[in-house]
Amino acid sequence: MKTPLIVAVCCALAFGSGYIADGARDEVRPKGRYSGLEAHETSAGASLLGQFRTSVSGWLWVRTDLYLHNGVAMRPLSERELEAGRVGVGSKDNTDGALHDDSKIVTVIPSAERDFRGVFGDIHRATAAYKDMTNHGHNEPYSALPLFRLMTWIDPHFINGWTVGAAVLAMRRDEEGYRRALEFLEEGLEKNPDSIAILNQMGFTYVARMHDLRKGMPVFERAIRTGETLGLARLSEDDRDGLQQAYRWLALVYRDRGMLERMYPLVNQGLALFPEDTILARIQQAPPLVLARRAPEVKLEEPEEPFHDH
Amino acid sequence: MNQRWTTWRALARGVVLETVRRKDLWVVGILGFLILVSAGALGFFGFQGLESFAKDLASTVLGGLSTILAIVTTARLMPDEIKNRTLYPLIARPISRFDLLMGKLLGAIVVSWIAFLILTALTACALMLFGVQFEPVMAQYVLLRMMGIVVICSVTLMFSMLMTPSAATTMSFVIIFGSGMITQALVMAYESGEVAMRPLFKAIHLMVPQVGLFDLGGRAANTSWGPAPLWVVGTLAAYMACYAAAMLALSWGKFRNQAV
Repeated sequence: MKTPLIVAVCCALAFGSGYIADGARDEVRPKGRYSGLEAHETSAGASLLGQFRTSVSGWLWVRTDLYLHNGVAMRPLSERELEAGRVGVGSKDNTDGALHDDSKIVTVIPSAERDFRGVFGDIHRATAAYKDMTNHGHNEPYSALPLFRLMTWIDPHFINGWTVGAAVLAMRRDEEGYRRALEFLEEGLEKNPDSIAILNQMGFTYVARMHDLRKGMPVFERAIRTGETLGLARLSEDDRDGLQQAYRWLALVYRDRGMLERMYPLVNQGLALFPEDTILARIQQAPPLVLARRAPEVKLEEPEEPFHDH
Repeated sequence: MNQRWTTWRALARGVVLETVRRKDLWVVGILGFLILVSAGALGFFGFQGLESFAKDLASTVLGGLSTILAIVTTARLMPDEIKNRTLYPLIARPISRFDLLMGKLLGAIVVSWIAFLILTALTACALMLFGVQFEPVMAQYVLLRMMGIVVICSVTLMFSMLMTPSAATTMSFVIIFGSGMITQALVMAYESGEVAMRPLFKAIHLMVPQVGLFDLGGRAANTSWGPAPLWVVGTLAAYMACYAAAMLALSWGKFRNQAV
């Protein structure tokens, strides 16, 4: 008599848990975007392939950095080293940090003064690609372009490949370079429509490189809209950084175009998200007169054709 | 000494013949074919601007495959002799156990060198197909890599005397592939760690085989790097001889009193 009762209770529990399980969907899989995970989570095979291509593109990314330094392996300074006041090697030709932040990187193989290995250290420096990289230069970044092409082809969701590849293309500082950079970013955006980092890089290319504020403005506006839709908590580190940059750039664009009535709400909105942002704080505190003087061609216009969402 | 040399040569020849008989070198051929196919796939993207990448990939693949082959070949030599009972006719002859180990080690080194040179030749063909030019540092890369293989084989032989072939293979992979990472960690820890720990870091560093020192891949792959100075090659040769001798001594220490 007991057995059928236990079976019935178990069946009821199984049915009940199955029935209510749907309610947990939002907790287990919240709505939003999962950059680079759409295909991977569908099946084991796709997941394996996804992991493989992510690994390969990550490896190519590391190699790209290696070629820019002509084979000299570099590493970021650890938190402990930064706290101890150690500074990176710096560079002479990457002053705007388009490639990476040279002030926080050092060579993987230490210099003789910092190496306890004695003769082994000397041999290592003689057999590996090593030289003193203080205030170093970089190889022609164009030589690494095929790698950016390759890594974004293997893993189209590898955002750094798109943004840094475009930065390298734009380093030519001519119309052809800017056009190719924007085409590259357009392609990246097609594959990653919600990527704030790509949108930010696109806006940066328009504004900082081409000095075309009209075209850059709607791109930054779209980046901020995307950030609002997704929410700060769900953004990747790159997108979060891109969003902060987008707030800064758009505020500067508004300022330089004399759109102060749009600038102040935007700055307040940005500071609510990034309260420690000193650039936004400085713009907020600057007297309106100074801001207006910075934009002699003040013309309040209707917003241009909005940037099309893909 | 001549007698010993003859014995070692005969034992080494036996290892090479055994490898050929077991068709182990077919694996090398298949791997070489894969290298050529991969190079063809890379050519699909256009080779302009990818020369450094191709050379880097070639040195990485060569280094990885030659290390794997050296470890796998060496790890089973002595355990197989014991398991198949072919060790008895060998030790029944008038040769010492040290000579037996030495001959086996030399055989493993020769087999690993043959495999490495076959892979190097195939990789060179693949690179030449894409117009990558030969540089003197590449010859030095091959020479130092062959010296590195001696260290790898001696470490693996030592592990194979202490544990099962599977465990010896695993331990060798961990130590050889991880030696660069371990060294890097020690260098960073030495600077930022406790002063009291420094002698320990130095001791660990001396024990870990410095296989990474024999790798000129970084110089060979990138432009404007010349060959390493001669004193470096000489010091590395001395290190190779000392480290291999130490590993052989450890192996002999275990094997000379081992009941078979």
